[in-house]
Order: sequence, then C-alpha cells, then structure tokens
Amino acid sequence: MNIPFIRKVIFLLILPLFFAVFNSCEPLATSFEDVEDAIMYTKSEKVAPPLPDSTIKVMTWNIRFGIGRQPWFGDACGNNTVFTKGEVIPGLDNIVARINEVKPDILFLQECDVKSNRTAYIDELQYILDRTYFNYAAYVSEWKSEYIPSDGLGRMDMGLVILSPWPITDAKRINLATRGDQAGIVNYFYLHSCIVTGSIKIPGFKEVPLLNMHASAFATDDTKKKHYEEFKAELDKLDAAGNYFVAGGDFNELPPGSDSTDFCYEDMCPGESFHQPGDDPQHKAGSDYTPEKDWLVPIYTAYKCAFTLADYQLNQSAYFTHTTQPEQTWDRTLDYLFTNHRWRAGSAKTHQEFFSESDHAPVSAEFVLVKE
Amino acid sequence: MIRKLIIILSIVFFADMLHAQDEPLLKKWSYNTASLMPARKWESGLFQPFRYGINQKMEIFTNVLMLPFIPEAGAKLSWGTKNDFAIASEHSLSVPTPFLNMISRKGIGGLISPEYDFSFILSVSNSIIVSRKIASSAMITANGGYVFALRGKKPDPQSSIDMPLFYPRMAHYYEGTSIRLGTAVKGSIGSRWFYEEGVKAFLITRSENNFFFENTGTIMWAGGKSLRIRGGYILAYGKYPYLTPKWQMWPTLDLVFGSK
Repeated sequence: MNIPFIRKVIFLLILPLFFAVFNSCEPLATSFEDVEDAIMYTKSEKVAPPLPDSTIKVMTWNIRFGIGRQPWFGDACGNNTVFTKGEVIPGLDNIVARINEVKPDILFLQECDVKSNRTAYIDELQYILDRTYFNYAAYVSEWKSEYIPSDGLGRMDMGLVILSPWPITDAKRINLATRGDQAGIVNYFYLHSCIVTGSIKIPGFKEVPLLNMHASAFATDDTKKKHYEEFKAELDKLDAAGNYFVAGGDFNELPPGSDSTDFCYEDMCPGESFHQPGDDPQHKAGSDYTPEKDWLVPIYTAYKCAFTLADYQLNQSAYFTHTTQPEQTWDRTLDYLFTNHRWRAGSAKTHQEFFSESDHAPVSAEFVLVKE
Repeated sequence: MIRKLIIILSIVFFADMLHAQDEPLLKKWSYNTASLMPARKWESGLFQPFRYGINQKMEIFTNVLMLPFIPEAGAKLSWGTKNDFAIASEHSLSVPTPFLNMISRKGIGGLISPEYDFSFILSVSNSIIVSRKIASSAMITANGGYVFALRGKKPDPQSSIDMPLFYPRMAHYYEGTSIRLGTAVKGSIGSRWFYEEGVKAFLITRSENNFFFENTGTIMWAGGKSLRIRGGYILAYGKYPYLTPKWQMWPTLDLVFGSK
C-alpha cells in the first residue's frame, strides 16, 4: 500500500476538522471588545405582549445570582463559594414570584448567572424567562471565565439582562473602563463592568432605547467615575439624536447629598478592622463612598431620576436599596432609573419589602411613552 | 463525530512511519511504552513520574514532585514479547486526599471551594500496554486499563475541578470506574529529535459527564546523555458538568533527566 499517499489523503480529510476544533477553543478567561453583540434569548411559546396606552413600568434589580441572603464569600462575610441546585432554585423561584407580582414591562437585571459553577450550572436567565411573561431577553457577560483558579469559583458566566415582552433590537454589550487598582493576572480573571443596550418598539409609540449598567462595586481608584462618564456619554448620544431612553442599573454609588457615606463598620466582617491607627487599608474596598459623593452629579443634572434628589434628601431611608448584612436593614441607595423624558408622577417605588430575595431591593417606575 | 475523529487519528498514527534507528528511541523515550527502564537506571521529569528499573522484569514509579500531596506508588511488569508485541502491565495506588484538601481553599490557588472536605480516597489503577515496532525508527503502543477509587465518603459532585485534563483524571474519585484506552506512535527524527502523537479516551461508568478524549502531540529534544526537553500540546474534548461539550487546547512542557 502506498503509505505517503494515504497520509496525504488523511491529512486533507482531517484539516477541516482541525480548523473547526481550533475555532471552537476558548481562552481561560474572556476578554471583551469595546462593543459586542448581546446574546439573545427567546421564549419558545410566546405570550401576547401588553398594549400600553401611555406608560410602561420599568424595573431594575440586582438579583445576586439567585442565592438570596445566603452568605457568599465575596460580599457577605460568608465562607461558601458554591451553592447547590437545592439552594439556588428556591432563590430563583422567589425572584420569579416577585417579578410576576410587580409585573414590570421592562426588567433590567444585574448579577444573573448562566451556567456558572457557583450556582450549580443553572441557566438562570432561561429559568426566569420560562417562568415569567417576558418573551425576549438580551444577555451580556460581565464576568466570564472557563475557570477561575481562586476560592473554588471555577467556571463563571455572570451578566446583565434586559427582559421584554416586545422584541429587543440592536442589543449590544458596551465595555466599561477596566479597574485600574488590580494586578494584571487578577484583572484577567475578574469581572469587566459593562452596559447592555437594546431598543423596543411598542406599536403607536416611538422606539425606546434601553440601557442597563452594573458599575464596579469594589474599585478604590477612579474606575467608577469613568464608568459614570462612559454611561453618560451613551445617554448623551441618544439624547442628541432625539431619542427618549430608559436607563438604569446597579451604579454602586450613593446619590449626591447622602447623609452617610462611609459603610466600613456596617460592612465589616469578623476579624477585620478599619479606621484604626495602623489599619491598612483604612477603608474596606467598596464601602467608603466619601471621595465619590459628587460622581453622580453630572447624570442627575442632565437627566431625570425616577426619584428626585429633593425627594431622596427629604427621606433618604425610604430609597435605600442595599445592605451587605442579612441581619441589618437597607442602609444605602445604589440602584437607579433615569430618563431624558418623563416618569409618571408618583410611580417610582423602591421595593424594600423584598428583603430576602437579594442584597439589593428592586426599583421600579413608569416611563411615559412618546407617541409617534 | 468524536469516535470518528479517534479512528481517523489512529489511522494517521498507524501510517506515520519514518526511517531511523529504533535503539536510540527506546533508550531516550521508553515512557508510555511496554518497555521498562533498564535495571538500576532511573529517569524523572517535572511532570513525568520518577521511574526506576529493578530488573528486566520490573520497574517502579512515582511522581516525585507530587509525592507529598498525592502519595503514589506503582510498578510496571514486563510480560515478555510475543509475535513482535512487547507486553507489559502497570499497576499503581495513589491517595489524592491531601492534594484535594490542599487545593480546597480560599484565595488564589483555590481550585475547589473551601467549604468541601475530602475524606480518604485510594485510587487503584491497572492497565495493559502493548508496543510494536512499525518501522526502523517508529513504534506504536496501545494501552487499556481501568481506574477506580475506594473512598471513605463520596465527595460532593460540585467539588470537582470542571476543566480539561483535571476532570477526566479525577472523575472516578466521585462516581464510577474510569476505563482508559489509548494509542500512540513515537519515533525519532535523527539522533536528537523525537516525536510522539497519541490519542486517549476516558470512559466513565456513569450516566453523565462520562466521555473524554485527548489528542497529544509532543516533540522531544535529547540535549545530552541524560537531559531531555519535551514540549507540545494536548487537545482535549469532554462533556463537563455544565453540559456543553468542549474542545480545549493546552500547551505541555517537561524536563526529563536521569541515569546516563
């Protein structure tokens, strides 16, 4: 038998196979382009979308990947990294129940896991989509790694979502500034803050661009400031083009004029010490907002928050949306909704009654649609 | 699809023949063949196990660098040559518990979540290796065997390391017996350069996450009488717990040194 001829034939046969294989290989951690397409989810059996007459209810919610108030190591002084299906599913069911109770027309989610090791590889977005009245979702990864070799995190895919009963068009992932206070290798495996954008078209009304942001929680340099500047730049572009947008998310920032700006003691875990002579660092990462108290002023000045600064400053605790400690009550505001058009007066609500579902309370408000 | 790939690659290896001398090949690279280390000779790599020839019928091996973390001992026995087929068997015992508990930790290096504790696990491996010369400078080796674990308590299935290379080798700690089948062709290109191409399949006797496949390619340079440098790739395919079968390419590098 002519062996060299056989080798050539086999080589030609397997060449496309190898090409396919090489193209399907993924790096250990995912890096992102400045702008990428979002991943679209669709419900197989669609529900008839509502026919609003003048407003749509929009809600933003950081769902803490469906683990409710369980002590995760990364944000609640816990020891656990990984949760079982039996621990995650009840958390997701609670979130689904609350969504179906409030019935927002548009829902922004942050910290939604898709087949991550820490949440038993459940596709949380598909789970929520299948159990609510939404037909469409746009998903972008914020933290994606084949394997994170730290704290037993393993495979990770956490992201931002826009859910809608109407088709979402032009859905994109917009990358935000990389944290400047992390070592390169840590940053390689760490989450990369971003915005998910998309648009919906409701019959009889102008198209509504949607933007959902999750800003850095723990950056100790000016990374968050850059995130707000980048976010505002996107809003400015839409505004200049004559669009009426709805924007929101978990900004990880206090409103200007907040009475309390340092939460190191509130967030302190056993064995930690802050503010004492010799403590290094002096402040807990992500808990001291004092140097950042004006960082949201440009967005507040240019656009309309669902709750006004004046309202907030009159009764701040009524608008609190976050606490790190499950045994405490809400102690700060981090979650927002903005528009360049109008919110229906009195429609904004901070759902502080949803305390056990996440470490963030959802915020909802009714956006006034603009007729064509 | 995957099984077809295995067959295709196997045919390639059968067909892969070059011309040089057989003797330097086995002298420099008898690891992963039915040949044993010569009596009172040794070799070790950073990743390749330490091997020591007791006599013409037996060699013993262990992984020196990992010994404090994964106590391991094994023996390769020669069963002679029949119809040009050299036949050997490999038998080993290892205790991965200290390693698993070491990497179940907080911070960098925590491959497993710190909430998991591993009880005693004894991994038992047995395999048959058959090698045959297929050209003056090339030989083919086939091996088949099984690995199972005796454990104090079944580890939590969520404590596995769900990535290529690790997962298939650790799967039997959690559930099932790992049946391993492989074939490789090695040969020499001149006196200092050597190559090996191989495929390996892991079939785990359980209902899910039970098939893994690896294609390895290695080039070795024999720098002197005792030092060898090896580098290449492992192309791994597997069904991991997140249900998306994956291809992954990993680089490999090893330094091998030993008796002159």
